[in-house]
Amino acid sequence: MNATDRLLDVIQRGLTGPVMDEQQFDSEQVAGGIRHVLRQYEIRADRSHVVNLDDGLADRVWSAALDFLASCGVYCIDTGRVIRFSREEIEQILNDAPREVQLGAGSDAVHESYRLVGEKRPPLNMGGPVGSPVSEALFVPVMLSYAQEPGVDVVCPATLSTLQGCEIRTRSPLEVLAAWQEFDGMMQVLERAGRPGMAVNCGQISISDVGFLSAISRGGYRPTDMHTLGMISELKVNFEQLNKVAHAIKQGGIIDPFANPIYGGLGGGLEGIAVLLTAELVALNLVFMAVCHGSSPTHPFNFNDTSREIMQATGLSLQALARNSHLMTNMTVSPVGGPGTKTLLYECAAYTTLCTVSGASRILGPRSACGTVQDHFSGLEARFNGGVARAAASLDRERADELVQRLLSCYEDLQDKKPVGKPFPEVYDLSTVQPTRAWLDIYDEVVREVSGWGLPLR
Amino acid sequence: MRIPTDLLEKLDAALRLGNSDEAEALAKTMLERGVEPVALVQEALVPTLTDVGQKFQNFEIYLPELMMAGEAAERVTTLLEGVMLRAGKPSITLGTVILGQVEGDIHDIGRNIVGILLKSHGFKVVDLGRDVAASAFLDAAQKEKADIIGLSALMTTALPAQRRTLRLFEEVGLRRQFKIAIGGGATSQSWADEIGSDGYAPDAASAVELFKMLMDAPSG
Repeated sequence: MNATDRLLDVIQRGLTGPVMDEQQFDSEQVAGGIRHVLRQYEIRADRSHVVNLDDGLADRVWSAALDFLASCGVYCIDTGRVIRFSREEIEQILNDAPREVQLGAGSDAVHESYRLVGEKRPPLNMGGPVGSPVSEALFVPVMLSYAQEPGVDVVCPATLSTLQGCEIRTRSPLEVLAAWQEFDGMMQVLERAGRPGMAVNCGQISISDVGFLSAISRGGYRPTDMHTLGMISELKVNFEQLNKVAHAIKQGGIIDPFANPIYGGLGGGLEGIAVLLTAELVALNLVFMAVCHGSSPTHPFNFNDTSREIMQATGLSLQALARNSHLMTNMTVSPVGGPGTKTLLYECAAYTTLCTVSGASRILGPRSACGTVQDHFSGLEARFNGGVARAAASLDRERADELVQRLLSCYEDLQDKKPVGKPFPEVYDLSTVQPTRAWLDIYDEVVREVSGWGLPLR
Repeated sequence: MRIPTDLLEKLDAALRLGNSDEAEALAKTMLERGVEPVALVQEALVPTLTDVGQKFQNFEIYLPELMMAGEAAERVTTLLEGVMLRAGKPSITLGTVILGQVEGDIHDIGRNIVGILLKSHGFKVVDLGRDVAASAFLDAAQKEKADIIGLSALMTTALPAQRRTLRLFEEVGLRRQFKIAIGGGATSQSWADEIGSDGYAPDAASAVELFKMLMDAPSG
């Protein structure tokens, strides 16, 4: 089936599937369904490791996730119905999923492809603050700080806070114009970086379908860019999201959606989130026709994904996916720390190492300071992230586990303090768009430390 | 009268397990034995649900368990509210709260947690859901005769909608009739100060304390 036919099939299921109250879906289908498969498949992680070393456990997580997804389905908010696929249908669709994709054009193109657990070829590095709020005046220098980094393969914009000084209102012409401003700004950035064909993860400004659709229309974002959209937690979609999919399919863009399960939420703790994350990434393919499958499992209080249990769940899920499917998976690093702090770099090193050895095909971000503090991000941390990804690809899981545990000990106790660091103008020289000596000194210090701990960054 | 210890322990267990039927039956037994509804709330519901909320904060339990305990507590609260109403006594609720995700924000789970904890502590909660227009907050606040309005924003792009909602209350001259608090991952105390909200809660547990404090604070 081609993508249009598949989307029509999804919409039909959304229009005719079983009617269900949303609360019932949450409590019985999602929470109850996860509890059921955890028992059925006897899923219990070894908490002494952060990087999963048990292949049998990863395979049970996979089986549990597919059974759970076939039973639970995806809730369509607009129709109050459940979109369901049988396990056989899910497996057939997964068989047909793409294994690789070209991102970008010409000499700036890169190829993303499915990675195995422990594969020595490093994941791609998508640099950018992933929708974090940015001042209008800083948009171009901030994004240039990422695009100019040789170790950054593709870029993901920040989100404009204003449009010519006006607050941007969802579903209004302001959002449409802001989406075009994001596009214009990104094209300027790529030109100045000398990488005009580099792929952009576009539409970060647009919450609604109207903003998203406008800037990927004629004269806007290109078919070689990635179109991002999110599944609503947990396992829910609405027509607004499916409108984005429909438009992206007809525009020929690369569909690069995400689903971010909440730790401690309907999926519960470590094991439940591992199963839920696995199911949600598969669901991105079923419902959104995803080419790439992204996530940043979210801590309910700190909003990061670099805490111990979330990393344990993430690694387990990535391994389940990489061992049992050929889906391309990408993970956004969402550290609590911000620019100018060692915490940020320790968190990036831990999360990126975990994802690299567990089979992720692309690393995103970092979304420094969890993406909640305006202008608190810079390209230097993406340089660091890319270096970690390349170095970590040479590690086996046992060495990676030791390293991640050591890194966790450097930042775990600091996360509640939210060390958000400094804004971009205090860590970069705006006239040269280069990091300040102070920020580079911190960077160099952490590179030396982490290299000494066995991650060959230097 | 004081609540018999054995009944108190049984109700505590029923609430923690989310056994709504048993919790309701135990509450009826307590009422029949002369326990005052207010005492039942203060000595049984609030301590148990406070502890359940703390366990959730510590990840000793997760949202499904919190939801089940919250539903059981709500069943008991509804029973007690009916008793008070029939007796012509004042409501046992601490106050009426309107909750919602501001326009453009489609998240749910964080606000749901706040709602459960507020209900467990005796607030009447009217949850307007996700992606709520400023005018809908205004309508609901008037219709429900709300005491507090809680505006949630998890996405930084939804922050302007929090400000717009506050401004609408000001523009129509109703700002001083209601306390308006903000929360959610994208918000902060400095943002709360900037837009002139009455309070900011960084997480669900502190939201309960904030809302209790706002109920005690003078209007205007």
